[in-house]
Amino acid sequence: MTTNGTSAQASGRAWSDLEVRDLRRDFGEVRAVDGVSFTVPAGALTGFVGGNGAGKTTTMRMVMGVLSITAGEVLWGGRPITQADRRQLGYMPEERGLYPKQPVLDQLIYLGRLRGMSTAQARTSVLSHLERLGLADRSRDHVEKLSLGNQQRVQIVAALMGRPRGLVLDEPFSGLDPEAVDSMADLLREHTSRGVPVLFSSHQLDLVERLCEQLVVLARGKVVATGTPDELRSTSVARHRLVLSGDAGWVRDLTGVHTVDVDGSTALLELLDPGAERALLTEALRRGEVHEFSAQRPSLAQIYREVTA
Amino acid sequence: MTTTQPSPTTPSGSSSSPDASGWGPGPLDSSDAAGVEAGASEAPAWLIVATREVVVRVTNRAFIVSTLLTIALIAGFGAFSLWQGSRTTTYTVAVTNPEGSGLVTQAAAAAHQDDQKVTIDARQVPDEAAARALVESGDAVVWLHDAAGGWTLTSAGEVPIALTSALEGAVRADALATNAAAVGTSVEALEKGTAVTVVRFDGSPIEAGFVKGATFAFALLFLMAAMMFGQQIAASVVEEKQSRLVEIIATAIPLRQLLAGKVGGNSVIALGQVVLFAAVGLIAVSFSEWSSLLPALSVAVVWFVLYFVVGFFALACLFAVAGALASRVEDLQSTTAPLTTALMLVYFASFGLSGTGAVIASYVPIASVVSMPARILAGEAAWWEPVVSLGFMAAFAAVTVLVGEKVYRRSLLQTRGRLTWREALRTPE
Repeated sequence: MTTNGTSAQASGRAWSDLEVRDLRRDFGEVRAVDGVSFTVPAGALTGFVGGNGAGKTTTMRMVMGVLSITAGEVLWGGRPITQADRRQLGYMPEERGLYPKQPVLDQLIYLGRLRGMSTAQARTSVLSHLERLGLADRSRDHVEKLSLGNQQRVQIVAALMGRPRGLVLDEPFSGLDPEAVDSMADLLREHTSRGVPVLFSSHQLDLVERLCEQLVVLARGKVVATGTPDELRSTSVARHRLVLSGDAGWVRDLTGVHTVDVDGSTALLELLDPGAERALLTEALRRGEVHEFSAQRPSLAQIYREVTA
Repeated sequence: MTTTQPSPTTPSGSSSSPDASGWGPGPLDSSDAAGVEAGASEAPAWLIVATREVVVRVTNRAFIVSTLLTIALIAGFGAFSLWQGSRTTTYTVAVTNPEGSGLVTQAAAAAHQDDQKVTIDARQVPDEAAARALVESGDAVVWLHDAAGGWTLTSAGEVPIALTSALEGAVRADALATNAAAVGTSVEALEKGTAVTVVRFDGSPIEAGFVKGATFAFALLFLMAAMMFGQQIAASVVEEKQSRLVEIIATAIPLRQLLAGKVGGNSVIALGQVVLFAAVGLIAVSFSEWSSLLPALSVAVVWFVLYFVVGFFALACLFAVAGALASRVEDLQSTTAPLTTALMLVYFASFGLSGTGAVIASYVPIASVVSMPARILAGEAAWWEPVVSLGFMAAFAAVTVLVGEKVYRRSLLQTRGRLTWREALRTPE
């Protein structure tokens, strides 16, 4: 996988890729993450997909240094990542939490200052982010008075404020309404257009498909697929839809064709042999009329099911 | 605001000061974060943490209320002492004859000389029935009347000792004078050489009761502060742990700085509160009948505050560890249990021990916070003793901070339920 350096070059400065190499984590006897390797290229939005317990959160926690690594390494710009590097990454942990009894603005400024911003800088950045996410009028409220969705937005500000050099976000879209999802997506795109590498995990495959330039699919602690959505599609066996005038049940007996589903006169097929297409159509025309024969673009969900099966 | 432009290369590793590393490489086109650049933080991380701890605590309503209540309680004690001190007591004695009236006048003079706030009045009534009625109604405390071979005090209930002894003294003096005159001598001649003066070797004018009271106050003050602030530190640690906020903080600053800030911030508030209480307490004492003991008490209080600072520092660190061992607020009760038990032991030991036990306790760290100032107040400690004992405590605090910091770091990012102290020490970092 190569670095997507377009935006980095455009701004005239080099940005760092975030890279994970042979990462492993054992919890006692259980191997939660097993030799995971992938790159989050600078300036690209990388989706991290996988079922519950696949090891996404464990991997992200190791990347951020809050969980010790059993084996393998995390690289930043090609060399082992340091605590000073991590200080410049925006991070959103899996479980959300803030100080419930402190006003939104105060605690975000506090978190900004811990990352080395001055009070004035932190305030400016926090206020502009709150504005973007529609929370400007709640900045004096205690966090516990906000709805869960709004707390989630505050958490987003905590990760994005300042100018992080990279973003590691665990389920940043969960709990957001469609409007907030769009604001969040815009924000993330702004960061990638600056040249920042962004890694985010999500269960919402349609969202990942819509947003991501790059995908990493994890299953049972291992990377099972990686690449752009189109690359992943090309690895998948193409499916075809066939609509006939009569019953389509006979396609099941055809060699070189795998029948996924038959519903009356409609069949969903996978063509396994190169010559299967011709044989199929010849037989179909011999039996009657063909109303439709079309290639189906596989959805990410379908690919996901295939690669994690 | 100065805008530094970090070199076009990637950040140069851990050797570069994190404060100097900018936020992104220079101004960019995006509209967010309006030109926030190159934030050189103006304060070290631990100070930022400590400041937050102080601000959050001091603006907490429960904290303000409990502080004001305690001050009111101490001030109330002072006001009560003041009122008690200025209150005059008047005893009314019913008499049925002029001789009785004369005796009461003598007794009043003697009692007043003894204690200026005591006055004794005679109330002349015509007969026994009137006298009894007066006593029964409570308008007079006693009825003084002559009986065969002496005088009798008739009362409805217990007679105050001050009144009895004053009247006894007057009757005795009167009888002595009469008897002396009868044998041709005087009372002065009879009493010659009977004066007794008490001289004490230790010269200590402090009563044991006062020392006990002050010790109790020290113990209570320390226990209260340690428990309250200790639990608060533990709660604030687990709050961050439970909410995973600590993961965000851990990526921004070293955990050591977080611990230092928490312990430092809370120690400052605890110390401030104790100094406030001690000052109000000393003012209260200055209004009480023990005001003459103020200089001695002040010395003990200064030592107490000194011990408190060092002792609290160690305890704060331990409570932070207890917070890190828990994974939810509900776990705190069990992870802080060893500490609260130890504190209760110190509390009871501080006024339960005497003699050698008290001397030993005054050298044992934490227990010495209360025991040594108590011995200083009682005038039992040589000048070097508190110095040595404070040294022990400082050493204990240093070890606690070192070990505590290790356990804190190892357990803070563990999310698998509650840890024991032993597990935390075994956990690899």
